[in-house]
Amino acid sequence: MSLLSKGLAILTGVLVSAGVLAHHSTRGLYDEDREIELTGKVVEWRFINPHPYLIIEAEDESGTVRQWDVSYGGAAVVHLRRQGYDADTFKPGDTIIVRGNPALAKGVYALLIEGGRHPTRPDGTPVVKGGSMF
Amino acid sequence: MTSTIRERIFTTRTVLPLAAAVAFALPGSAAVAADEIPDLDGIWQFGTCATGFLSCMVLEEDDELLTDRAKAYRDAIDEAAQPKYDCAPMSIPHMWTDPYAYRIEQLEDRVLIHYGKDDVTRTIWLEGHGHEEPAVNEFFYFGHSTGRYENGALVVTTDRFTFDPQGLNADFRIPSSTQKRVTERFSRDGENLVLEVTTIDTFFLKEPWSFRVTSRPFTGEWEDSWQCDLEAARHSLRLLPPKYPNDPPIERIEY
Repeated sequence: MSLLSKGLAILTGVLVSAGVLAHHSTRGLYDEDREIELTGKVVEWRFINPHPYLIIEAEDESGTVRQWDVSYGGAAVVHLRRQGYDADTFKPGDTIIVRGNPALAKGVYALLIEGGRHPTRPDGTPVVKGGSMF
Repeated sequence: MTSTIRERIFTTRTVLPLAAAVAFALPGSAAVAADEIPDLDGIWQFGTCATGFLSCMVLEEDDELLTDRAKAYRDAIDEAAQPKYDCAPMSIPHMWTDPYAYRIEQLEDRVLIHYGKDDVTRTIWLEGHGHEEPAVNEFFYFGHSTGRYENGALVVTTDRFTFDPQGLNADFRIPSSTQKRVTERFSRDGENLVLEVTTIDTFFLKEPWSFRVTSRPFTGEWEDSWQCDLEAARHSLRLLPPKYPNDPPIERIEY
């Protein structure tokens, strides 16, 4: 599979967290002071409860291709559906750009994209309309 | 035969009116004046606090209400041991902090509360209908709930909970004991529903913990089925470093 992407723009700074879901299920798991951007290909999209997630292939900082686990945090199907997601939002092989907080654990390739940071298509178009998840 | 008829007449003329009189005299019994019963039937948006989104009903990690025992448990138990990673629901009162709609069905002898997460349906057994009490050795994940209508509100008392590792807060590992008792008061304020919740648990709370939230009628699409996926529930576990690395790795049961 040819991987189109690359590139990791490391953006530092404190993020404004969504802070909307009561359960901090991602608390202490991601680096909230660091945000990175990945361009990669969709491997799997699981639109399922309790928390939907996305698996993409993208390069890490060293240029090695990794499988990244992309999480919407505490959001459930019902919350993402209100923002325009469904089971067909992503298909294997789709190229997307995601921006979020990387996992704190060493050797774990995961990204938290909660807080309205919806993935975009290569032309910059968001994959969903967005809006309130409530 | 005559005797049987007399007994029947006695029953009809004496026992039933007597029972009705007693029923009216007992608060929360089957016979409650119609204006005492609030119309709670319907689907409600999750409750929010007067002061903010959910802040009033979240027990903080180092909350001053917590006993030393609660803090010791919080520090000793690891996140990976929380039942939520096995699709276990969050019981009351913490359930109310989860931002999902809920549906109330008021029936003659009971009230059903369906929560929009975890496929939870609670049954509130209304007093005065002869419902059986659980045996002394019976405990339940969501406790045993009884209710009565009182001053225009539904007042629900729930106890007989099992020990619950996430019973007071699932994010900060604050448990609840078999001594947890939750009182919920549901009433109407115009088109909204007001829920007041008070929890006692002398093992883990120094004082009663109370909050009050308001729900608007829910206008979205109600989803009846949650269908928790075990793999998805456990997915984030791989991000957790082991708290007790010298212990054998946790091998989870598939079911």
